Amino acid sequence: MIEVERLTKRFGSTLAVDDLSFSAAPGTVTGFLGPNGAGKSTTLRAILGLVRPTAGRTAVLGRPYRELERPAQQVGAVLETFDAHPGRSGRNHLRVLARAAGLPTSRVDEVLALVELTDAARRRAKGYSLGMRQRLNLAAALLGDPEVLVLDEPANGLDPQGIRWLRDLLRSFAREGRTVLISSHVLAEMAQTVDEVVIIHRGRLVRHATMAEVEAMAAGAARVRSPDAERLASLLADAGVDARVLADGLLAVSTTPERVGEIAAGHGVVLHELTAERATLEEVFLELTGGAGEQ
Amino acid sequence: MRALVGAELLKLRTTRAWIGYVVALFLLSGIAAAALAGGAAAFEIDSPEYQRDLVSTSVSAGLIALLVGITLVTVEWRHGTVTRTILVTPRRARVLVAKQIAGFLVGVVLAVLAVVVVLAVAIPVLWGEGGGFVLDAAMMGRVGRVVLAAALAGAFGVGVGALLKSQTFALVAAIVWTLVLEPLLRALLELVEREGAADFLPGQALGAIDGSVEDALSPAAGGVVGLAYVVGFGVLGWLRLERSDIT
Repeated sequence: MIEVERLTKRFGSTLAVDDLSFSAAPGTVTGFLGPNGAGKSTTLRAILGLVRPTAGRTAVLGRPYRELERPAQQVGAVLETFDAHPGRSGRNHLRVLARAAGLPTSRVDEVLALVELTDAARRRAKGYSLGMRQRLNLAAALLGDPEVLVLDEPANGLDPQGIRWLRDLLRSFAREGRTVLISSHVLAEMAQTVDEVVIIHRGRLVRHATMAEVEAMAAGAARVRSPDAERLASLLADAGVDARVLADGLLAVSTTPERVGEIAAGHGVVLHELTAERATLEEVFLELTGGAGEQ
Repeated sequence: MRALVGAELLKLRTTRAWIGYVVALFLLSGIAAAALAGGAAAFEIDSPEYQRDLVSTSVSAGLIALLVGITLVTVEWRHGTVTRTILVTPRRARVLVAKQIAGFLVGVVLAVLAVVVVLAVAIPVLWGEGGGFVLDAAMMGRVGRVVLAAALAGAFGVGVGALLKSQTFALVAAIVWTLVLEPLLRALLELVEREGAADFLPGQALGAIDGSVEDALSPAAGGVVGLAYVVGFGVLGWLRLERSDIT
């Protein structure tokens, strides 16, 4: 369980997070979405006790991160920065963390195998590729077999197989009743992974919805061709449906094909074509965030 | 806390930086001992004072321990490892105390190494001059005080590093302070006839412990002042760390 309550964070004159509240429930994968610069990383770092809130509070498993008894065993985090010393081997990096967290060295070798980094584990981290760095970050997060996972753009640098592997891992985490919060600036990347999405923009909450709701938003449009387009448009308008005549006999309608069919049949209007139009998830996302990503 | 100190020492052992520190230590203490031993006239070499001065050439361990203590903190900012460190141990004061203890232990190891180097250089010279090396209680006390001074310097460095954060700035500041600013300040204090105050400068206080500074505080008083620097800079460093957003 992760809770964010009226979180505000200001860096100098920049308002990074603005009165943000949401929660991520156990047993679900919650996607944390927003354009670059929306305040995602700052929020995650506040949840993890790395950034001090200007106002508001955050809690993981019912208490502020700083007050967790055994943080490494309770919360695993992957942040966007690579946090191993370049001159230290991946395995030694994990050994240091295991020692500090009171975990056995055998666990280090387990997670190295889990993220498929065993072969490179004894090499110094400065020679690691982007994907290997991301795997090492993941290994560090998984070291304590935590109840809660917080991941900031974890797909960065992973190849398609790695992304699928990560997706399966997160799904199985959620199935076991654990909590996963994962940020991304690409909704489509998360569509198959997340149960819920929390969308923020300019530090404020835009929407907290289930993935099914987001997909329903994407589904609600149709294209209609009728020899009697003008009449159909006014009938639809009477029914409270937004309809625009595009060209000769072609209508763009903001409702499902089923509803258009029912209205047309009810008034005996002939249809030549009726097609469901799916907005892409990306279009939904851009609409919700005002299309104003600070790229 | 034991686990945290162990993790800090493991961090030190698992990068190559320690090799540089040990080489610097060997050079500094070896050269100082060779210079003192080689320059001795035959009638001096059996005097306990002379031999204890010889052992004091291992005080370079204190400077190196100070620098290692500083980097225990600053390297975490430099390479961003501070993020993972604080994630594992979110109570930041615990991290700093673990580092201070690690810095203290590093000081002990460096000072013992330095004494070994000094004796390895000096004893053949003494024997060659027909003298011997007397390992009496006073000598053992001197060795112990050299070790304590270096240990306190290591722990002190942790506070300095936490306070200054920037690795380059902190290391340069420590070296410039030790070699230039503190002697300058001491001279100024003497000019205004306040040389008593100079005894409380960090280098003077630590020097009073190992006996490398003359007309200073007693070793015990030096120890108290040194410990006050460890605690004081530890608290200042903790305040800086506590207020830092790790982004």
